[in-house]
Amino acid sequence: MDARVSGRARYAVDAERPGMLHAAFVRSPYPHARVTSIDASAVPRDCVVLLGEDVANLGPYGCQVKDQRVLADPARHIGDVVAGVAAASPGEAVAAAALVEVEYAELPAVFDPVDAMAPEAPRVHEAAARSADEAVSIGVRPIAGSNACHRFRIRHGDVARGFAAADVVVEQTFRAASAAHAPMEPHAALAEWEGSRLTLWTGTQTPFNTRADLAGMLSIPEESIRVIAPPMGGSFGAKTFVRLEALVACLARKARRPVKAVLDRADEFLTLNRHPAVVRVRIGARRDGALTAKEVDCWADTGAYADCGPGVATKMGYAGVGPYRIPDVRVDSLAVYTNLPPNGAFRGYGAMQSVWASERTMDILARELEISPLELRRRNLLRDGDEFATGEVMRDVHFEECLQAAADAVDYEADPRGKGLCVLLKGMQTPSRAAIAVERTPVGYVIRSASCEMGQGVRRSLQLLGAQMLGCEPGQIVVPDPDTDTSPFDTRTTSSRSTYMMGRALAEAVRDLRRGDGERGFGEIRNEGGLDPDTGQGVASTHWHQGAAAASVSVDEETGRIAVERLHAAVYAGRVVNRPGAELQNEGSMLMGLGAALFEGIDFADGQVTNANLSDYNLPAASDVPRLTHELLEREGAEVHGLGETAVPPVPAAIGNALASLDLDLTELPITAERVLAAVDARAARRAGLEARR
Amino acid sequence: MYVRAEPEWIAPRSVEDAVALRAERGDEATVLAGGTFLGILMNQRFLAPQALLALGAIEELRRIEVAGDELRLGAMVTHRSVERSPVVRERWPMLARAFSLVASPRVRNQATVGGVLADADYASDPPAALAALDARAVLRSPRGERALPIDELILGHYETSIEPDELLVAVRVPPHPRRAAYRKFRSRSVEDRPCVTVAAARGASGLRVVVGAVAATPQEFRELCDGSPAEVGARYAERIEPIADARGSAAYRRRVIAAEVRRAVESLEDVG
Repeated sequence: MDARVSGRARYAVDAERPGMLHAAFVRSPYPHARVTSIDASAVPRDCVVLLGEDVANLGPYGCQVKDQRVLADPARHIGDVVAGVAAASPGEAVAAAALVEVEYAELPAVFDPVDAMAPEAPRVHEAAARSADEAVSIGVRPIAGSNACHRFRIRHGDVARGFAAADVVVEQTFRAASAAHAPMEPHAALAEWEGSRLTLWTGTQTPFNTRADLAGMLSIPEESIRVIAPPMGGSFGAKTFVRLEALVACLARKARRPVKAVLDRADEFLTLNRHPAVVRVRIGARRDGALTAKEVDCWADTGAYADCGPGVATKMGYAGVGPYRIPDVRVDSLAVYTNLPPNGAFRGYGAMQSVWASERTMDILARELEISPLELRRRNLLRDGDEFATGEVMRDVHFEECLQAAADAVDYEADPRGKGLCVLLKGMQTPSRAAIAVERTPVGYVIRSASCEMGQGVRRSLQLLGAQMLGCEPGQIVVPDPDTDTSPFDTRTTSSRSTYMMGRALAEAVRDLRRGDGERGFGEIRNEGGLDPDTGQGVASTHWHQGAAAASVSVDEETGRIAVERLHAAVYAGRVVNRPGAELQNEGSMLMGLGAALFEGIDFADGQVTNANLSDYNLPAASDVPRLTHELLEREGAEVHGLGETAVPPVPAAIGNALASLDLDLTELPITAERVLAAVDARAARRAGLEARR
Repeated sequence: MYVRAEPEWIAPRSVEDAVALRAERGDEATVLAGGTFLGILMNQRFLAPQALLALGAIEELRRIEVAGDELRLGAMVTHRSVERSPVVRERWPMLARAFSLVASPRVRNQATVGGVLADADYASDPPAALAALDARAVLRSPRGERALPIDELILGHYETSIEPDELLVAVRVPPHPRRAAYRKFRSRSVEDRPCVTVAAARGASGLRVVVGAVAATPQEFRELCDGSPAEVGARYAERIEPIADARGSAAYRRRVIAAEVRRAVESLEDVG
């Protein structure tokens, strides 16, 4: 039986070391405040307290911008950690943390990314921090004197010319709320020092990035840090880059004992969420439907710290162009600091927010042009050999097949009422590097890789691929937990890249093993490229994730409650490695997309999360699931394509467009019943207005 | 300094012991029934009880009994037990329906009849259903026993008339009216708490309509119940001052109340 089913699986929350202490944190109750004094004298003497003076000589950290300190001062969001405590039990640690008296001097705060770009807005960070090199795929471009920690641009053609050539131009602004990753297993990390060497057991998708960032912060060589990454009980982007690791490392060094931290659910909402975003789209087309120009402006709210906001804003920016041939394109996408908890990687990496805006706009344009939304897309979709707005020439293009498959699944062409479509392109981390080692054992092989298991099945995929390549049974292949001491380097387990990148690295390693003594082999794959942050030209992705979704809905027009009756996703897989795993990825993605579409939004009041539990914050439940189907499009001899996220971003727009087919225009996610009812009222007012004019 | 990390755990095995301990400790010990609500409050650190008076070990409080025409549900009867009880399903079907719509089976296996009433959380299903069925909550103390209708039990947000020495031990429900309906309107997930609930009953005393989850207490206006279903709905929507929360604004709730009350009352009408 699967160890996850029998309960034998051991996660980071289960990690234990002899003599370990448990951590709890003192968190700021203010969204922006300087710490004026801390008094820990009431804390029992057998507890260890970590205060500002203990970490004053440590460097800043942050995966893309070095703007974080182990302990915050000023605190930049409610929940920012200003002190830490370690005690013999988790309960004692929580009680001790409550005895730390902190006095604050409040500073002005800002909670909306558009407001935060106003000239008079409070500054979340006084000065732009140094860009980090290790985990950035694009040059970080802060805007001096503002809260923008990064702006990404695409300048392709001349949009003035393009809009002049248009017969119809539509413009709309869309919003998407923040959301919780809500993995079953919360963040957990355990740190232990032996002399000057630090070992961490942590649930992470980024063992090497975490090691590098911690080494910089602690001013010690990377090799002095060992990161062991047990399987995660879900992550969805939440467990990327340094989260609890810096805190437990510092507590453990001070305590001279191992220290472990496990977050509770409420703290999860203060730790890392999805970027709320505002996306404005302007698009022009000729009467025949040919797109002539598009402008996309994004404000990605990255919260108190940049984290990977620059990367998210970049992907949000180019995914918002959509998989279309558009001669003239301008994109300006900002990652903006606010005094909300930090926002970071979230399955889809910003694509969902801009695809929602971009694909809803396509249906508004279709209505203006009186062309079917399906036909409008067909006339403009990228095909093999076409140039994308980044200047790269597209190959292995399957958008049209994905879209048609989605449309057919809901019988769109027979009757489009109550039905909606969405098609998307999403890039993969470029540039990046994946290395892997294969060793012969008396009974089979060991495959060492830093690809992290988070329920997505990468371990199984490596076993299946390895068995195929090595001519053995999957059960003869052991894939140990990622360990920076023994696993070869991998950029990280994100952006649906592992099966594709590690799979190809494994093929190299097996070739190497065959060429050599048959005992061991090493393989490494690099994908080269990257975008110029000032023009958006270059190689966004060496490998495109392509997909489409269709939804059909019915609406209770008295209450605005909608029932999603049918949901279908079609995803280009190239070649499927692990069919049950691939199918589950698609289904899981669609469910996550359903949550984003209908229910999930973190509510804030003056920076305070007001629904930091899974009763007030709604995830889709089993009985919310509509008739849900999907397909994996394959091509003989094609490359393996990543599948982990592709079916998330198209779901909200497909549902939004299904409502648009009923003349109900939604611009904000989640699509709550109340927002639908407002759209019903707006439609009635529009119709009454038309009637009156007649 | 001594740090108390865990609350004291008091677990009587009989109702008598529980009533005695409740009288002795008063509000210093928080009564713990199924824990589905208390657990959230404690996890979110809104509440840090010094002591918990846990009723889980008292078998007597888990009984579902019918005495004559009356249903008697022990305070520790779970939502799931009400939902699945053959006698409740047959003779108090509206009650079985209302309890069956709460959250998920996992929550219903834990949440209790006494707990949901004593919490007095506005966003719950059972209070409106029990009110429309004219149920009474039985409160016991060393001073004796009293039985309160729901509108006298629930006074406001998380506020009841249970005295510090009293324990809610049971709920008594009189015979089911000729027709009754329970509608739960969720603005979000199927497993969400209600945005608006309507419990409607037509029996010997005429039409009763109780609207829940829209204000601090279940809302009932006997004087508004004459007229067509649409009229009753419109009047309730106008009269109630709804609260606003994550499940909907006050203005939105008014719209839903009008529709859901009308639908509930319509469903009571005789066909043909």
